[in-house]
Formats: sequence, structure tokens, C-alpha cells
Amino acid sequence: MSIELIIFICMLATFALSIFLFKMPAGVSLMLAAVVGALIGGQGFPVRHLVEGGFGFLEAILIISTAMIFMRVMQETGALAGVSRGILRLFYRQPTLLIIVITLFVMFPGMLTGLSSTCILTTGALVAPILINIGMQRLAVGALIAMAAVFGEVAPPISIPVMIIGGGVDMPYIGFGLPLLLVSLPPALITALYFRFRYLPDYNVAKVKVYLDSTDGEKYGFKLYIPIIFVILYMIGEIRFHEFVPHLGVPLIFIIGTILGLLTRRGVKLIDVSRTALRSAMPVMAILVGVGMFLQILALTGVRGYLAVTALGLPEGIRYLAAGLMPFMGSAYGSASIIGVPLVYVFIGKSTLVVTAVLVLMAALGDLMPPPALLCAYSSQIIEEPNHFRILKKCIIPMAISMAIGLLILVFAQEIANLIL
Amino acid sequence: MIKNNLSTIIITVITATMGVIAAVSFGKMHHPEELFPSEGLTGKVMLSDYFEGIKGTNGDTEVYLFDSGVEGGTALVCGGAHPNEAASFLSAVVILENLRVTCGRVFIIPRLNNSAFTCSDPMEGFPASYEIPTKYGTRRFRLGSRVTNPLDQWPDPLVFSQYPSNQQLSGFETRNINRSYPGRADGNLTERIAYAIVQLIEKEKVNIAFDIHESSPEVPIVNVIVYHENYEEVAMGAILGLEMAGLQFSPETSPKNFHGLSHREWGDYTNAIPFLMETSNPSMGRLRGRTDVDLVLRGYCDNYKKAKETGALRIAYREDTGEPIAHRVGRHIAGVVELINSYNLYYPDMQIVIENLPDYDMIMEKGVGEFLNN
Repeated sequence: MSIELIIFICMLATFALSIFLFKMPAGVSLMLAAVVGALIGGQGFPVRHLVEGGFGFLEAILIISTAMIFMRVMQETGALAGVSRGILRLFYRQPTLLIIVITLFVMFPGMLTGLSSTCILTTGALVAPILINIGMQRLAVGALIAMAAVFGEVAPPISIPVMIIGGGVDMPYIGFGLPLLLVSLPPALITALYFRFRYLPDYNVAKVKVYLDSTDGEKYGFKLYIPIIFVILYMIGEIRFHEFVPHLGVPLIFIIGTILGLLTRRGVKLIDVSRTALRSAMPVMAILVGVGMFLQILALTGVRGYLAVTALGLPEGIRYLAAGLMPFMGSAYGSASIIGVPLVYVFIGKSTLVVTAVLVLMAALGDLMPPPALLCAYSSQIIEEPNHFRILKKCIIPMAISMAIGLLILVFAQEIANLIL
Repeated sequence: MIKNNLSTIIITVITATMGVIAAVSFGKMHHPEELFPSEGLTGKVMLSDYFEGIKGTNGDTEVYLFDSGVEGGTALVCGGAHPNEAASFLSAVVILENLRVTCGRVFIIPRLNNSAFTCSDPMEGFPASYEIPTKYGTRRFRLGSRVTNPLDQWPDPLVFSQYPSNQQLSGFETRNINRSYPGRADGNLTERIAYAIVQLIEKEKVNIAFDIHESSPEVPIVNVIVYHENYEEVAMGAILGLEMAGLQFSPETSPKNFHGLSHREWGDYTNAIPFLMETSNPSMGRLRGRTDVDLVLRGYCDNYKKAKETGALRIAYREDTGEPIAHRVGRHIAGVVELINSYNLYYPDMQIVIENLPDYDMIMEKGVGEFLNN
């Protein structure tokens, strides 16, 4: 058995023992796993590497903390409830269409920003109350939002994992619109239908109507929605009209949105709201610090390369399995960079655009998977479920369906490219 | 009180201690290594002398001039565009510390993206520095990041729209100087550095320009000379010369639809003949094993041997010897020399004659350190 495999098994065992036996938080467990990996890998206690890895997701941590404060303020002002009611009022008579619209709505910020987390923290948080109130189980709501966030990250026009793979193989981000739509939209629709018929079989229009009428509360008019409109439009503007819209960065956009939110309704206490928001986001932020350390030690000790070479070394006939292993890397960006880049070369001879799009779908599913299970962790914050692995469990079937669709497209990548490109 | 908050106090103390230790380590990256130019050096200016917009920033960097005093052409040699590519920087340093010019002029910028030398890439596990033994003692060199330090340019956009092509790349690439050419005077720091370099090329009427790089063994564009389509004959002449010396380089035309790279934009926006060279560096690869100084310098990695045996990828890796630093630096210097020789054949009125650079065999035999001064 190679030393890298031993290190990897020890890291996973440390993580599992820490989280399941000693009931430590996931973030702390990841940090402990990183320390154990470094020690077994002969690196001692590499302070510089642990700190550097811990800062690997600094931007994501800033986005989450500011987004959580923003969403809490929106909750306090009543904007969240207002948007939920609006969507529900429009589509409540057709539940299947309602779930499809909600899925696409959750995907929307990810399509524009390329970040899956924004789907959960913005539109996901908006629709969660709707789904819960029309009778869907909480865990299923969390799972549907997490799955939609994955598809949002993949769908065009902006897909950062494609750009990461493109950066690795010197391929410009051109011509990916249709291939990305092909690998994201059908699985998204199937997932929406799966959740509709599996977890909302007894939808009752009359009951929902009663709920709608009972929740028509105080109205504050259009100004309540200005912060949400500002945040969404500014994010789009930064990307689509970058020559005219100054670059602020996502955290600052959320901060400005928060300030606007405070101006739309009196009585919202920023300190209290921020404290609550950051307290609820703390486990996710700790996970991100832990994941950064974990990935740094994987690279430092050679485990990362070992995993990638093992995937490449699979026999010719089952090479597609290497693509199927991508979600198990536990991070979309990590998976795209580590396995995605070599796999583009493995499948040379097929349409690179379609192959890359499939690999991105596979990589994006990694955001659901442990050890970090980031999207499940975010989603658990939204539905207030302490154990995010219970959300992952609900995602297994739609994940499997999405992977099957992806692999099918991969097998016939060239033929499909001939048809659509 | 203390008892109730004991765990908080312990965690705070541990975190603060780790922070201080890491800060000391990262702080060392802000101390540039001393360079010892050869006696042929005739001048040293700063890149900001060509564009004020980077003065006082970490993007400003030294520009070394070797002027023969004999009328001829002008060459520019750039290393350290990506400071995580050790042979890129070291090749420029070896040229700087040995060069004599007898016709024309040569400019050398060893730390092209100076800011990127002050940080490393998170989650890659790279060592902060490496040491090379020389005749005069050991010299330490920093192994930096592929991109500008975020302390100098932050935050990244979600999507980087390259100027002026509007080509979209991942936001991280906004700090990559080799995606930022031709640059712009009012852009971010990386774009301003790129702009300053283009200003230098234009003001000094550079005829031939080199951008020295390294790449992962699994990337197809490795062990190559990338050339602008207008100057194919110069590249082919050099590749033939290198072939005769036993060094194989593949010719690669600069893609017309991939913007921001030196070989594309220097060729499109200036009169210089641009060349970009890549060697195979296993320490940069995604398939690499344990990441340490030995891998950076010895370039030997079993993972690449195994990956090559799978036949799944085209991998530029020599199973028997690996890709040691002497081999990589030797190839780059041989490439520069042959490209200048080839240029001289096609542009006899603007000759550049350089001397005293070690050839590939000398570097392989004696090691890189033999050609470093003190």
C-alpha cells in the first residue's frame, strides 16, 4: 500500500472519528484530519501550510458572512416573505410548474455569478419558506435547493469551473453556452419533477390558497425589494457591463444591500441581526477554513496527485469511471482543477466543449459531497437543520440521475456535438 | 470567569501563535533575493521609468541594461512572469549574471511580476523558497505565486473580462500578467504592469522579446517555442539549430483567439518579435506527488512515470532522469541563444550579438549554481 493511500485513509478516519465519535464540528474535524495527514506525511506540524490553506477560501468566507447578514436583514424587513408570497401567488394553482419555476429561480444567481453558494444564500433562502409552507419536508427542501445550486453553477452564461478547466488547458471560454445548457437543464428539470412527485404528492390547492390569504400581512410597497433588486442587478452589471459598472466585489455588494435594507424599514437592529447571522454562518465558515487546510495537506503530501493518477490509471474500458469519481473529490473547483484538467486530455478525440461541460457537471456535484459537503452545509443553515448529512442523503437519487445523464452525454459527446454545435 | 472561557482562551492563544509563526514566514517573502549582474551591465532602471503608474507599488521591478555601444538591435529577456515557475526566474538570473553583449542591446527583467514573488498559491503546498549551492556559498531564491499578490490587487471579479478583447476568463486570472497584455494605464495593478512592459518595448524599440515560462508535464504546450504567426521563419530557424544541438522544441503558433498572452499581444501591439518558451516542471503539475524543494529542483516524480505508463495522457516527462532544474534552465538559455542567432540571420541590419552564456551541456555538467555569482 502506498504511503499516500495510508495518509489519505488516516485523514478520512480522523475526520470520521472526530465528527461521529467525538461529535466535533465538521470544520474542526477537517483541521484535525489535516494535522494528522501532515504528521503521517512526515511534514511535522507545518504551521505555514495550515495557515495558508486556512486562507484558501477567504473570499468565500467573506461572501457567506456578508450574504448571511444581508439575508437576515431582508428577513427582518419582510422582503423575503414578500417575494415568497409573490412567487407562490403566481404559480400556486400548478404545483409542477411551481416547483420547476422555483428550481430555475434558485439556479438564477449561480448562472450569473458562477457561484453555487450564492444560489442557496439568496434565492434559495427566498424560496425555502414557500416550499416548507406548501407541505414539502424540510430536508427535501434543503436537498432541492442544494441540487438547484449545483445546476446553477454549471449552467450558462457564467460557469467558473469551465473557466478553471479552460485555464488549465489554455482553452478560451467561448462556445460553451449550448453544451452547458445541455448538461444542466435536463437534470435540473428531472430533479424538480423528482422532488415534486416524491415529496409533494398531496399538494392541495385549496390549503395553499388558505395559507396565502392568511399570510397577507403588512405591505411596505416596492421600496422593500430595492436591496434585493440592487444586489442581483449589480452582480449582473459587474459581469455583463464591466466597462461601466465599477468593480466592488461580492462582499461589498452584499454590504451595500444590507445598508439599503436598513433604510427601507425602521427598527431593524443591525448589531443583533449581524450577530445572529454570523453565529449561524460560523459552522460553514469553519468548514471552509478546514477544507482549505485539508486540501493544502493533500497537495503537500502528494495525496492529491496520487488520487488523480489513480483515476487516470483506470483500465481503458472503464475510463469513464474516472469522470464518475469527480464528485467524490468534495469540491467543484478542486475537482475541476485536479481531475478535470487531465480528463479533458483523456477524452481528446471527442468534442472538447461537450466533454468539458460534462466534467463540470460532475465536478459541481462534488460541492454536495463530504468531507466538506458545502452546499448541504449552507442549505442546512437555511432550513435550520443541524445535521447537514441528512440533506446529502436526500440528494443521493437526483445526484445519481444527474451523473447518469452526464456519463451518457460523455459517451456520445462527439455525436451530440455534431448535432448541436 | 477564566474557567468558563478556558476553551476560548486556549483556541485564541493557539490561533494567535500560529498566526505569528506564519506571518514571520510569509514576511520573508517580501525580502527580495540579491542579484549579481555580470560586468557587462551598463545600466539599471525601474520599470516605472517607462510608466509612472506603477511607481511605489510592489509591481515596480528592476530593468537591467546591457548596452554594447555598437549599433544594432535590441532584445528583451523576461523571467518571473509566474514566480512559481522556478526555471523561468533562474534562467533570467543566469543570463543576467553571465551576459556580455558585443553588438546591440539587451534588457533583462528577472522579476517580471514582482508582486507575485511576495506570496504563494493557497492549497498548492508549495515551498516558500529553494536554495542553490554556488561556488561562493548557498543562495536562496523565493518560489512565489502564479499571480499578483492579493494584498496588492483585491478583490478579484467573479469573471475576468480581458482588456481590450473582452474575452472572459475565471476571476483569478485577473491577477495573471500573462493574460493582461497589452495592459492599460488606468487598469488594475497587473494591467498597469503589463502596460509598463509594452511601453518599454515601444520606447526602447525592442526587436525581439522573450517571455520565459514553465508548465505542467501534462499540458500539451510544453517544451515548446510559441511564436507569433508573422515570425514563423525565425522560430523555425531556431528550432532547427536547437535540433542540431540535440534539443527538441516543438513549434507552436500563438492562437489568434486566445488573448492577453505575451506571444499574442506583444506581436499585435508592438513591433517586437515575441517568443514564449515553456519547459516541463513536475512540481507545477496536478499529478505531482509530495510537494517539496526536492521536486522543484530535481524534478523527479514517480507519479508522472506512472501517469505516462497509463498512456491516458501525452506527458512531457523523462522517466529516467526527471526534469531537473539544470535541464530546464539549460533549455531556456539555449532557446534564447538560438532564437537570437536565427533573428540575426533574418535581420542582419539589426544584429544582436551576445556572449559568455553557458550552453546546455555545461549547465547539465556543472549545475546551475556554477553560473551564479556572489
